[in-house]
Amino acid sequence: MPEVLRPHPPLDPRWLQLLSERCADLRGGGARFEDLYIEQRLESRAVATNGELQVEECRTDGAAARWRSPSRVVLHARTGLSTAGLGELLGRHADRVALPPVRTLQTVEMDPPRGWLDWAREVTSRLGPAPSTVRFLSRRAAVVRVGEWAPVASPPIVRVERGGERPAALLAVWGQPRLGAWLQELAEPEPAKAWEPTPGMQLPVLFTCGTAGTLMHELVGHLAESDLFVTGASPLAGLLGATVSTIGLEIVDDPTRIDLAGGFDYDDEGVGAAPIHLVRAGRLEGLLCDREGAEQLGTTPGRGRRAAWNRPPVARLSNLVIAAGKVPPEEIEADLEHGLVVTRVGGATVDPVSARTVLRVECGWEVRNGRRRRPLAPCELTGSVVEILAKIDSRVGSDPTPDWRLGWCIKDGAPLPTGSEAPSLLVQRLEVL
Amino acid sequence: MSAPEVPEYAERLHRAATATREHLERSPVNRWEIFAKASFTREVEVTPARPLRVIDVEETGVAVRTLREGRMGFAAASGLEGDASRRAVESALATEVNFAGDPLPPQRLLGTTEVRPARILPPRGWATHVGEELARAVASLSDNHLRLRRTILQEGAFGWILATGDGWVARHEDTSTTLLAEVELVGERAGIWRDWLHIPEPESFDPEAAAARISDRALLTRSRIATDSGLRDLILHPEVSAQLLAAMAPLFLATPDTEDLLPPLLDNEGRLAAPSLTLVDDRSNFDAPITGPCDGEGLPARRTLLLDEGVPRHRLASFRDAERCGEVPRGGALRLSYRDYPATGIANLQVLTHGGVPAAELLGTADRALYLLRPLAPVSCRPETDSYRIVASGVWLDGRRVCGWHPVVELRGSLGRLLRRIEAVGADLRWFQTERGCIGAPSLLIRRQSVVG
Repeated sequence: MPEVLRPHPPLDPRWLQLLSERCADLRGGGARFEDLYIEQRLESRAVATNGELQVEECRTDGAAARWRSPSRVVLHARTGLSTAGLGELLGRHADRVALPPVRTLQTVEMDPPRGWLDWAREVTSRLGPAPSTVRFLSRRAAVVRVGEWAPVASPPIVRVERGGERPAALLAVWGQPRLGAWLQELAEPEPAKAWEPTPGMQLPVLFTCGTAGTLMHELVGHLAESDLFVTGASPLAGLLGATVSTIGLEIVDDPTRIDLAGGFDYDDEGVGAAPIHLVRAGRLEGLLCDREGAEQLGTTPGRGRRAAWNRPPVARLSNLVIAAGKVPPEEIEADLEHGLVVTRVGGATVDPVSARTVLRVECGWEVRNGRRRRPLAPCELTGSVVEILAKIDSRVGSDPTPDWRLGWCIKDGAPLPTGSEAPSLLVQRLEVL
Repeated sequence: MSAPEVPEYAERLHRAATATREHLERSPVNRWEIFAKASFTREVEVTPARPLRVIDVEETGVAVRTLREGRMGFAAASGLEGDASRRAVESALATEVNFAGDPLPPQRLLGTTEVRPARILPPRGWATHVGEELARAVASLSDNHLRLRRTILQEGAFGWILATGDGWVARHEDTSTTLLAEVELVGERAGIWRDWLHIPEPESFDPEAAAARISDRALLTRSRIATDSGLRDLILHPEVSAQLLAAMAPLFLATPDTEDLLPPLLDNEGRLAAPSLTLVDDRSNFDAPITGPCDGEGLPARRTLLLDEGVPRHRLASFRDAERCGEVPRGGALRLSYRDYPATGIANLQVLTHGGVPAAELLGTADRALYLLRPLAPVSCRPETDSYRIVASGVWLDGRRVCGWHPVVELRGSLGRLLRRIEAVGADLRWFQTERGCIGAPSLLIRRQSVVG
């Protein structure tokens, strides 16, 4: 279990410091040098098909330089981290490049941990005959700005994908103590006789086992991202400072939780990681901003994240953590006359036209008079974003649980690891699709 | 920026392939394969009243597949210089695992199909021009009810070399141009509609036609919200058709007989779908998004008939999967990038639309129909239970008249029945990027499906 992130920048720290000092000399046709992002990645894959295991490894590195002028924002990116390559990259937009003298660059090795392949082999065999893939992913990066630089570290993560008739995936920090239990859940067979709720039914739904994290990821996390707020595309735009949910609801986006998949010590624009309170006592209070969004909205940056070295940073979530309440989840469930208990969610989307969310439920139960009666067949639940938030019950569970199904979060086609932890939450009414 | 304008990269690719070959020849491998690729993309985002955003990316890399004494390795490393070649070879040898058989196709199967010369990309400044023209056309076409929110024009040039230890070499270079446009309704019902357009011929790009394509659905949702239930005709917008085909795509990939889910879906005549539906994976179509003289392993590019007037014919397979499943290797391997192992996959899956009905005519032929405009969640197909589920947003039609907007509607039922009730395909084929690959789909008219509003 990683307790502290140990940043190893991809290049020699002294050279990076020198480079940051010289960046003050970069000028380019009225454009201002913004930053230089440098990254190394490793992806090791163990792919199991028909009992055969194949191992694949991919090592990539690259860098991107950004300039900004009143009329355009430009990002130049290229493969490789050689000094000559970085010089060429900076020289594409600057009139004069004053790079520090070449110094031998340290390349940090990023090999997977010892025993990883044996672990992957065991995992694929536990998942049975369906094709499956186990990935180990790690990256090291640095952000160079005028006069400063920051090493960016994030915990190595593993992703387990099961194909076949019931595709599912798991994403977790390597070393997460609950990984074994989550893998067991991933391998569990589907219940033989499951209940299919009738479309159109409106029922109270209790989100347990951390699944409320996925719900809030879509309803609050994404919709508090600065780009959606600036353009007014978020259904929550205009509600900053307003009470949007029950007074017991506290939501923080916390990249310092490095036990969750969205953790980091600096964001990809070189801003130190710090928790941001999004909802406090039911009031929408905070936003997730990259540097540009923070400037436009007059708030703090820290969530500029890049899908890879060749993409620009955009405002993205890290780990959405919902504060636990004091009510035992069994107590909330016992009060349900007729409703659903959700134990696993496959994902959710928010339609930007209707501002409604569609939530894919993978596992759960029908509850009658406080007792679990029948396992739930996979189904979809829907509701309006603002209405769902308003219908969250004031009783918040006392069982904070990290979610392993959230996995890669995709925005504008760019995937990023994110995490969540949530107690049980009851939504008083959701519609079955 | 076009492939012919950057000849030094052809030379760099050649040097990378040579350096990698030299590393491999010094290694104790029996058979090997090298794939080296260079790509250059420029993405220009035009948003009214905001600075232009430009992203220029050069990405290069080398991948190696090796086989020695029953052990196979695969690795990729970024860059085209000597270090990349060395890293790729060393990693491939370090990741070797036992493997039954030979995953590399024999030389007798390798070959290339003629492709057209690399297309020339539009000149600099074209993206800004297109963004402005589209904004004007969208506003004019919609009587100012719609506003173009942003356009992202992506232009790319790429080149690659595929070489084997048997001395076989293939090269390819081409360009691609795509457009992502977002429009929003002005006034009473806010919301964003997004469209992706593959532009095979930038020089003949028509902003008016493109504006019509990216505006049509958004304008329909201006009607009042309405629900309905019962047996209704369905019309799937090309985007919904594409998502349905993406969900069905695994049915067209090679599978061992014991795991084959297709037979239980066939009717007594061996038909999966109505005769109006013919599907191909066409790797020789110059105008499709994925081009090249061969598949990801070097088998000649070709058109594979997957569904012939509703009857399954062939399946896609990499060489290894074809061997495993007893299929004839037809060149069904795909490399998503240099980083990925060449695996079975769809390249350009498309519905044949010869004799397709113009979309407007298709909409007019249905009484009390639900016109599904866009999926709100991934379409789900479960062949093992002969079921499908579509969650989408749509409008109710009575003849050509729009009676109301249904923001979220769910359809589910028998997949086989759905496919066999496809009465007509539209002539409005569009390309979409889906999680399964590129899919060219038109509107589909499906008779009498149960709808729960």
